[in-house]
Amino acid sequence: MSGGRARPRAASEELTDLAEWVVGFALRCGADEAEAVVNDGFEFNVDVRKGRVEHLEEAGEKALRLRVIKDGRTAHAASSDLEPGVLRRLVRNAVTRARLSSPDEYAGLAPLSTTALPGPELDIYDPDMAGLAAAAKIKLALETERVALSDKRITNSHGATLTSAEGRLVIVNSNGFRGDYRQTYCSLGVGLQAGETDNRAEDYWFSAKRHFRDLDPPEAIARKAVARTVRHLNPRKLRTGNVPVIFEPTQTAWLLGFLFACVSGTAVYQKSTFLAGRLGRLIAHPRVTVVDDGLLPRGLGTRPFDSDGLPSQRTEVIKNGRLLNYLCNFYAARKLGLKSTANASGTGVGPTNFYLMPGPETPERMIVGTRRGLILTKTIGHGLNPVTGDISRGAFGLWVEGGEVTFPVAEVTISGNLGRMLKEVEAIGNDLDLTSAVTGPTVKFAEMTVAGR
Amino acid sequence: MTDRFPLDRHDIRRVLDLALASGGDFAEVYVERHYAAFVELEEDIVKETGESVGLGLSVRVLKGDQTGFGYTNDLSPEKVRKVALTAAAIVNGRRKLAPSRPRAASPLAGIYRVRRPAHSARLAEKIGLAREAYDSARRFDPRITKVKAHLQDSFREILVANSEGLFVADARPMVRLVCSAIAEKRGRRESGFWGGGGRVGLEYFSRALTPRVIGEEAAREALVLLEAADPPAGEMPVVLAPGHSGVLIHEAVGHLLEADFVRKKTSIFWNKLGRKVGSGLITIFDDPTIPGFRGSYAVDDEGTRPRKTLLIEKGRVRGFLQDRLSARMLKRPLTGHGRREGYESPPIPRMSNTYIDRGEDDPADIIRSVRKGFYVQSLQGGEVEDSGKFTFSVSLGYLIESGRLTAPIRQATLIGTNIDILNRVEAVGSDLAFSLQTGTCGKEGQSVPVTDGCPTIKISAMTVGGRR
Repeated sequence: MSGGRARPRAASEELTDLAEWVVGFALRCGADEAEAVVNDGFEFNVDVRKGRVEHLEEAGEKALRLRVIKDGRTAHAASSDLEPGVLRRLVRNAVTRARLSSPDEYAGLAPLSTTALPGPELDIYDPDMAGLAAAAKIKLALETERVALSDKRITNSHGATLTSAEGRLVIVNSNGFRGDYRQTYCSLGVGLQAGETDNRAEDYWFSAKRHFRDLDPPEAIARKAVARTVRHLNPRKLRTGNVPVIFEPTQTAWLLGFLFACVSGTAVYQKSTFLAGRLGRLIAHPRVTVVDDGLLPRGLGTRPFDSDGLPSQRTEVIKNGRLLNYLCNFYAARKLGLKSTANASGTGVGPTNFYLMPGPETPERMIVGTRRGLILTKTIGHGLNPVTGDISRGAFGLWVEGGEVTFPVAEVTISGNLGRMLKEVEAIGNDLDLTSAVTGPTVKFAEMTVAGR
Repeated sequence: MTDRFPLDRHDIRRVLDLALASGGDFAEVYVERHYAAFVELEEDIVKETGESVGLGLSVRVLKGDQTGFGYTNDLSPEKVRKVALTAAAIVNGRRKLAPSRPRAASPLAGIYRVRRPAHSARLAEKIGLAREAYDSARRFDPRITKVKAHLQDSFREILVANSEGLFVADARPMVRLVCSAIAEKRGRRESGFWGGGGRVGLEYFSRALTPRVIGEEAAREALVLLEAADPPAGEMPVVLAPGHSGVLIHEAVGHLLEADFVRKKTSIFWNKLGRKVGSGLITIFDDPTIPGFRGSYAVDDEGTRPRKTLLIEKGRVRGFLQDRLSARMLKRPLTGHGRREGYESPPIPRMSNTYIDRGEDDPADIIRSVRKGFYVQSLQGGEVEDSGKFTFSVSLGYLIESGRLTAPIRQATLIGTNIDILNRVEAVGSDLAFSLQTGTCGKEGQSVPVTDGCPTIKISAMTVGGRR
């Protein structure tokens, strides 16, 4: 596509050439502005179950995404077919479609930032990942499941899975931005069942990292998965009532995911969040501080720049209970008269490492300090409404009576309202572990409705 | 049809041959070319339009219950060979089989109901349809403050060939128009949603469901929710409205009849074929052959002709949803439920259009029979775990008091264990209806379009998760 060059091209140069060619071609077709994003990924995945390899997968894929702007009108396009004829047609179509779109005074590419892009200090690429032998990875998955199944209380397995992936991303735009980075990711996990067919408990555990050697050892993952599964055996249903609820970190994780949806600049300008119009206000208990940190070394959500090509940053979203920032891409920021927080993700807004800052309490002390309450360990179902902040989900947990765990709980629902809950945070644990990009430590809320009998 | 792909029959046979070289007992090549486009209206303007195309190939090799899988979107002969060898590596032995001579098969006829294909329609026409839905919601009431309308269409051409000689191609259309509306009153905001589509052409929107109705219904739902109260909490009788509530059956029963969970014995139903698991009033089918439906297809993603499959008959388990791998392991016939999101994903057993068959009760009598209970009007979706515990989220419901629907109720979650709930079905109405043609089901990271259906149903007691 870039014409006959004599010397061999490095992978990044090839992708950059492709992106530059697409941007150039879009401008020649009449676009005022254009941006191309090229992804080149490779993934390895093995599922083992009952001591054997069940599924082994290796694959690579390249894809391109394009945005063109003509007279303030935007059009998007994407392709995993990189044949030049296909791309030419796609670009021409995009420029034609842009003309049929409506002008939008806020549309446009982000200007070239003067801040230098962060570099290798982000440490999101493990150069050793590519050289790992499939056999070694399979062995880790087998070992994880073997340890888990050696516990007699475990009666069935969903299998153990090891995934390793690496990718390169290139962005080129007509404002002069040119960026590329490589990243790696790996995870190892196992899902289990305990109990007999008609009275089963199930759960899982996993470890996910940027660097392969950072993965938790198979034994640790297996033992945690076993403990998490068997503690749900022989559950009881609760009587309906309002009680304090302690969120384990996996539960804080989805709550933070929901909070993200409510502070996303897109939701704010669409008025589809109850936190619209609350900037600068006290919206949470003063012990609540939430950040989005795109610069966290080795973080699963870390990246040097966002998909607008703006350098990543650390943003305080809630500080001591006060809502300081919405998270925005360039477009949402313009609409709201704010500055982009470098949260452009694909064509929308997404979190980087979005987490609740840890507090002073140990989870154990939080349980001891609870006279009657529910430790929330697992939830299923949707039931999150950003427009109102309402939460209503199926729940599993452990009942606490007199500061001690007394029995497992299932087939109940929890409900509450994020707006109210944020103000009623009673305690925050010191156990923040960034196993996922959006997460938090153990948190105790003063009151939620638990519906059962 | 196959000239749409850069590989011919001979190329594909060579790939299959290579895939079997190290001892696999089954090999399959799946090639896909897809086209998708969308138009989105927001803030009174055409906010975004998009178009995407893709082409890719995957190779799968089976050896007993083991699967080797690889894919690429670079269809050069070297890359395709490499993918075949990757998939072949699941087994490390000597060749046992050679691929059979390909025999062209044909998909079912009459599944796709298209007069005017969306993928070849002019963009202006599609903008016009989305605009009509947008405007009808926006103008419906002054309390409607925000509207979004989204029209999306796709056209997916697939080719499946396997070592048993199967060689079949299909071309699947899809269109979907949805509208969401936000209503505001004294600082309170609520949102409503409506939509439709399926494996149909654009004529659908002038016959079956007009954009105007889509916009108005989205607005109406948001307005009703503005007046809605918080849900009650606790156990009570629940009546499911016909149509939308089918998702309860999708979650509570359908997933656990998918044969991979049966083969792995993780589903509560794995040992219950032929056994009674619920009320004799309940009969459940999954039917991928309903013309024009979103969940339908003329051939599944493993090349099997689908058929209407009886899952539960009068409360007794009669069948499972099979893909090739599970059918082989369980020694059961194929049902045509091997589906995949795209060439990047291996096929797994999935639902298509799942529904509870009509019963004999008068829907009005069913509501009248409840003194105090909860009526489920529209749903957002649900989730199930293999143990049978499931939930589903109600976006709009009503209280039932003395046999009548009274106050509207917002945002509630219902939870139960599937076999308990199946046994507590006390009445099944004669009014079978299907959900909006907008649904998508996720499993193991793969999304596929589905539809659910059910008549009015009464469950004697279920936990309603509300606030108090």
